[in-house]
Amino acid sequence: MSRNPGGEPGLWKRLFTLRSRLSRPTEIGLGVLAFVFLLAVWAIVVATSSIKPQYMPSLLSIGEALYSLFVDFNFAADIYISVVRVAIAFAIAAVMAIPIGILMGSYRVFGALGEPVIDLIRYLPVPALVPLTVIWLGIGEGSKIALLWMGTFFQLVLLIADDAKRVPQEYVETAYTLGAKQRHVLGLVILRSILPTMVDNLRITLGWCWSYVILAEIVASNEGIGQVIWASRRFGKTPEVMAGVLTIGLIGLLSDQLIRLASKKLFPYLR
Amino acid sequence: MTQHEASTDDANFLRIDHVSKWFGGADRHAGMQVIDDVSMTIEKGELAVFVGPSGCGKTTLMRIVGGLDQPTSGTVMLGGEAVKGPDRRKGVVFQSYSSFPWLNVLDNVKFGLRFRDGLSAREKDEIARHYVDLVGLVGFESFYVNKISGGMRQRLALARTLAADPDILLMDEPFGALDAQNREFLQVQLLDIRERERKTIVFVTHDVDEAVFLAERVFIFSARPATIIEEIRVSETLPAKRDLKVKDSEQFLHLRNRIQAVIRTQARRTEEEMLRVAARRR
Repeated sequence: MSRNPGGEPGLWKRLFTLRSRLSRPTEIGLGVLAFVFLLAVWAIVVATSSIKPQYMPSLLSIGEALYSLFVDFNFAADIYISVVRVAIAFAIAAVMAIPIGILMGSYRVFGALGEPVIDLIRYLPVPALVPLTVIWLGIGEGSKIALLWMGTFFQLVLLIADDAKRVPQEYVETAYTLGAKQRHVLGLVILRSILPTMVDNLRITLGWCWSYVILAEIVASNEGIGQVIWASRRFGKTPEVMAGVLTIGLIGLLSDQLIRLASKKLFPYLR
Repeated sequence: MTQHEASTDDANFLRIDHVSKWFGGADRHAGMQVIDDVSMTIEKGELAVFVGPSGCGKTTLMRIVGGLDQPTSGTVMLGGEAVKGPDRRKGVVFQSYSSFPWLNVLDNVKFGLRFRDGLSAREKDEIARHYVDLVGLVGFESFYVNKISGGMRQRLALARTLAADPDILLMDEPFGALDAQNREFLQVQLLDIRERERKTIVFVTHDVDEAVFLAERVFIFSARPATIIEEIRVSETLPAKRDLKVKDSEQFLHLRNRIQAVIRTQARRTEEEMLRVAARRR
């Protein structure tokens, strides 16, 4: 029985129809609902079970810990240093990966040279590289940047090379028959064509970069979000650990949404 | 240059000389021959149609003319110069939608103009708008490609190619993906545009009606490897200026049926050949 016969199917029905579209407010509402659900489950478990707060602190104590981190321990400085590390390493990785990836995807000679080596390095687990970066570059900023760079560059370059390879041959041939030379095709067609997927790939690898910065800071650092989390653990301050982890999640969510928004503005033709 | 020399140059504007093409090596066992010793000449300003069964190699020949593929043997001369690779002189309209999705209609038409020297920004704009108008896309200048219909996309591809001012226009089943009404509409429009722009056109299709309706001369291709079975001067039978009513005329139907019969035989040959190959593999 439908309340609006002949019209749009009802919301309830649309929610569970394969690939049906939802309005923006509905989508945001569902996102908020998931957060609320998670927090509610957390609160209920804390209130009703006998798990010690040392393992599962209350939401309130996590909030207090976050507040105290900022006010008493200058947490903002730690966030800043982590952000700067990620920004520098990621910028270097991206600036290198974009041209190299495009060349690898466009000229077989560069692809054949680069792919096997990069594939091998890409499969090396980043944590296993920590001792090497420390041996080579000590425990300063250099070794952290190098670790983040290794974790992102090799992934990114292959993603970009794959995208460049997938640019339709018709675009390339069309450009040639309109008078373009190779250098024009590289910039005006291949690079331009992969921009939207490239921004997507940057967004995804940026997330990986964040997990590596925490790793680097846990291993050897006197500041940064990772160091705060690790130090808090050593003193058994579980709420502070949770607050630190939560901060990373929020930064990730924020940067992800910002890039998505920019992507929408930059590539209006995708809609 | 004397009158006589000029006219022979024009008569041999496009010269395809003993062109053969093998894919995967010129060897009966390893490779596959798609074109077998094809020669022809096309006059300046002529509209020639290549018609033949699907997969016969007519598109490959067109691509060789455009410099997009290289012949295994033989040569192609355009306006007295050997074709070496793709460039602005050989404009191509592809079967699939090849306009750039990140550019709007006007900027797509302008794309080729940036490679032409000595044009001011204003001249480029004027040229682009002229061709947008020519193909009837006025009002859609700021639309992205994904917001216009399939027929409009092919008109855009035509405008974009013409704006680059090529010596020859190569069209590879450009209306193949369109519905019947749109296809006829674009056929008429193409004849109209040609009337005004006077370009040499090579048009590839497997649609016999389309071939007869558009062509001054039709080249009927055999099944793979492509040879030219027959060459028909349609302009000797049908009027130079054509509208859709021509399609109902007796002369049209006669030509159409004759070509259709040849192609049917060729298509059957292709199928039999495929069956033989499959049997040998087994």
